[in-house]
Amino acid sequence: MPDYSTIGKSIQRIDGIDKVLGKSQYIADIDLPGTLCLKVLRSDVAHALVKKIDVSEVERIPGVVRIFTHVDIPGINGYGIIVKDQPALTDKVRFKGDAIALVAAENEEIAKRALKLIKVDFEKLPPIYDVWTALKEDAPAIHSRGNILTVSKIKKGDAEAVLNQAEVVVSRSYTTQRVEHCYIETEGGVAYIENGILVIKVSTQNPHYDRRDVARVLGLPMNKVRVIQATTGGGFGGKLDISVQCFLGLAAIKLGRPVRMVYDRQESFVATGKRHPFFIDYTTAANKEGKLLAVKVKIVGDTGAYASYGPATLVRAAVHATGPYEVLNVDIDALCVYTNNPISGAMRGFGTPQMAFACESQMDLLAEALGISPVEMRRRNILQQGSITATGQKMNKSVGIGKTLEAAWEKALQVMPGLGDERR
Amino acid sequence: MAEFHLEMKVNGKPIVLDVDPGLRLLDVLRDILHLTGTKEGCGEGECGACSVILNGKLVDSCLVLAPQANGQEVITIEGIAQNGELDSLQKAFLEAGAVQCGYCTPGMILAAKVLLDHNSTPSRLEISKSISGNICRCTGYTKIIQAVEIAASRIATKEGADHA
Amino acid sequence: MLDCKLYFQPESLTVALDLLAKAEKRLLPLAGGTDIVPAMSKNKLNVAGLVDLSKIQELHQIKIEGNEISLGSLCTFQEIETSHLIRTKVPLLADAAGLVGSPQIRNAGTVGGNIANASPAADTVTALIALDADVRLRSTAYARTMSLKELLCGAGKTRILPQEIITEITFKILQPGSKGGFIKLGRRKALAIARMNMALIFSVTEGRINFARVGLGAVGPNPCRSNALENTLIGQEPSDSLVEDFVMEAEREVARMLGSRPSAAYKCEAVKGIARDILSSLFSSSEMVVE
Repeated sequence: MPDYSTIGKSIQRIDGIDKVLGKSQYIADIDLPGTLCLKVLRSDVAHALVKKIDVSEVERIPGVVRIFTHVDIPGINGYGIIVKDQPALTDKVRFKGDAIALVAAENEEIAKRALKLIKVDFEKLPPIYDVWTALKEDAPAIHSRGNILTVSKIKKGDAEAVLNQAEVVVSRSYTTQRVEHCYIETEGGVAYIENGILVIKVSTQNPHYDRRDVARVLGLPMNKVRVIQATTGGGFGGKLDISVQCFLGLAAIKLGRPVRMVYDRQESFVATGKRHPFFIDYTTAANKEGKLLAVKVKIVGDTGAYASYGPATLVRAAVHATGPYEVLNVDIDALCVYTNNPISGAMRGFGTPQMAFACESQMDLLAEALGISPVEMRRRNILQQGSITATGQKMNKSVGIGKTLEAAWEKALQVMPGLGDERR
Repeated sequence: MAEFHLEMKVNGKPIVLDVDPGLRLLDVLRDILHLTGTKEGCGEGECGACSVILNGKLVDSCLVLAPQANGQEVITIEGIAQNGELDSLQKAFLEAGAVQCGYCTPGMILAAKVLLDHNSTPSRLEISKSISGNICRCTGYTKIIQAVEIAASRIATKEGADHA
Repeated sequence: MLDCKLYFQPESLTVALDLLAKAEKRLLPLAGGTDIVPAMSKNKLNVAGLVDLSKIQELHQIKIEGNEISLGSLCTFQEIETSHLIRTKVPLLADAAGLVGSPQIRNAGTVGGNIANASPAADTVTALIALDADVRLRSTAYARTMSLKELLCGAGKTRILPQEIITEITFKILQPGSKGGFIKLGRRKALAIARMNMALIFSVTEGRINFARVGLGAVGPNPCRSNALENTLIGQEPSDSLVEDFVMEAEREVARMLGSRPSAAYKCEAVKGIARDILSSLFSSSEMVVE
């Protein structure tokens, strides 16, 4: 390989020195004089209509500057990366943690005290905590469009017919759990007005999308909103969504003062997206030689109260349902379903890790049923040059998964004593 | 509310303050002394982002009330580079690619520093144990452990040279 | 900022006790703070103020007096874990202290605090219960000693009175040659609150176990001794089949203790693993022997 100046070399991070010195400024480290503290009143019920918000007691507290509710949203009260279904401040609660009111106060203690004095009257609705209840025809609709957000299908060949005739069929159900990203820096931001432009500095992965949604919710033209990504202490997909951005923008434009909002760990857990819990029914057919013939998969993803990246996650789940293996007959349905659970969104892999758990478990069970080794079962089906994927893509160029499998197996033999005793 | 008369040394400098006793050491360091290299991650001693060295021992500054540090010596991430030169751990973290988002880095470096101050030839297990109260969500720890190994070997080499 | 209206930092026990005795509203003794500070953050601590014991030197000692070991209540887990006396005379307690929380928690948290906090899963408490430890309490007017078992009276509850401070924890030294171990089952290797823990002490004479004590934690409101498990061992020869008897009895004991609690299904199974691991390793290893 030619000697390049950069390619093939390790280069030092440009922000590395400040980070090892503790000099990098994350949101919580920014010191803006005169900053107001923002806190959100979050719902403690999962599903309800907000009938009345009484802030009379709060407004009398010295140091409370303003309380905002859904009526104060100047633009369109709905944001979201794919579907604009999440209100910045809501009049209908869809999960425990939905934002109802925003307090701006001179300091954090006052803001916290204020939250306790806001009185909300709810008309409670039956909460839906699982996808199966949500899918029932008579289930209460969490959103006006119903509880099924999207259905993604991949169909190829005639899976049903092959399954009925195959020599080996393995059928199992798999469930995966909700996972919090738990970046060590929680969500936070500051906002101020500079030369007539709203500036939001925020811990985010998605400044350009943030800008679009903030402008929409605040009824501002895009050129009046500037979003700056602050040094961000981890995201892993969880900081692709709006968290504090609209709150900061709303308070900054209405009050004309710099504002700050930093979630504590509990609020970060309660209010922000998670990895989708999946419910997977997986049936695989193979012939006696261990060649996969057909798969039939039904995936239901619990996207919680709002869409976030749910539709994309379930599309990705469907696309990756067959794993890195070639299957000629495929019948996949992936449903993205609303519930009154916490929001599920993007997290490292977008639904693919959940599917890998199911798909690879199926491969092991098939290998066991056929009496061949798990690694051999995979070798016989791995995608290679010329393979056609479930979505019909012909793999024309380099396909590295076969080599990866062999390298992983070699490494496993080195580090896992006894593994080589199995049939290879 | 009675204020507490707090005297301590922070990064070698004597500090005298009258503080509300409800402040945590973390709050005093960040909000009063503006030493924001010490981070708050969880506020309950789970993540180690707020680690500082208190009288030679690693503690979570979110679990220490400021008056508890009275009469003691505190070292934060801002206090370990000497005369503008990075500490060997800081250099090694950069070289090994042990820094990603950077939020755990100050606490992680201080945890490793306490180890190397007492043991300049630690085993990999001793390194893992020393950073076991510090969570990193980016790296998977491999490169952090490598960085501590690099720093330890440099310190050992230097000590060897000093003795020669 | 946490709500702490009164804060005292006495340098002697006398002054500390005096503060508690004369307090109009309840003051709470503060040891390491690793439980109290997070409780304050969550507004779960209902006291008027704190009496910080950390500057009282006499509460920091670890010593041996006659046939008793005494731990000052302010000894940190790290001090216990690394104390030569504890490592050689009561290795199970050193191990228990070394498995608490994280290095940061062990550097700050104290044995007295661990007892006063009365968590069902407190690691050193399970070991001290197996050691049949006593707790010495002082007030301005009197000193009294209570067994640790009696002092604990429910999750988060003790019989310590508001004017009292734990000064020492004492227990009899073990017979040289006896063996003891501690095992903890956590959700992860560090920073875990025990899902279950077990402390075990036994000695063998003429090929048979003549003395055994077993402490179990996180299977009830407080760690406690298990007579059933002790009786499984006493009089028997150490063997693989004894390990299996012990394992089966551990499952039955946990089932009895947990009844219909939701965690029972998991813990009845899991206790078999820790029971097998600890007993078989003590039978086969030459370590963890009391000097």
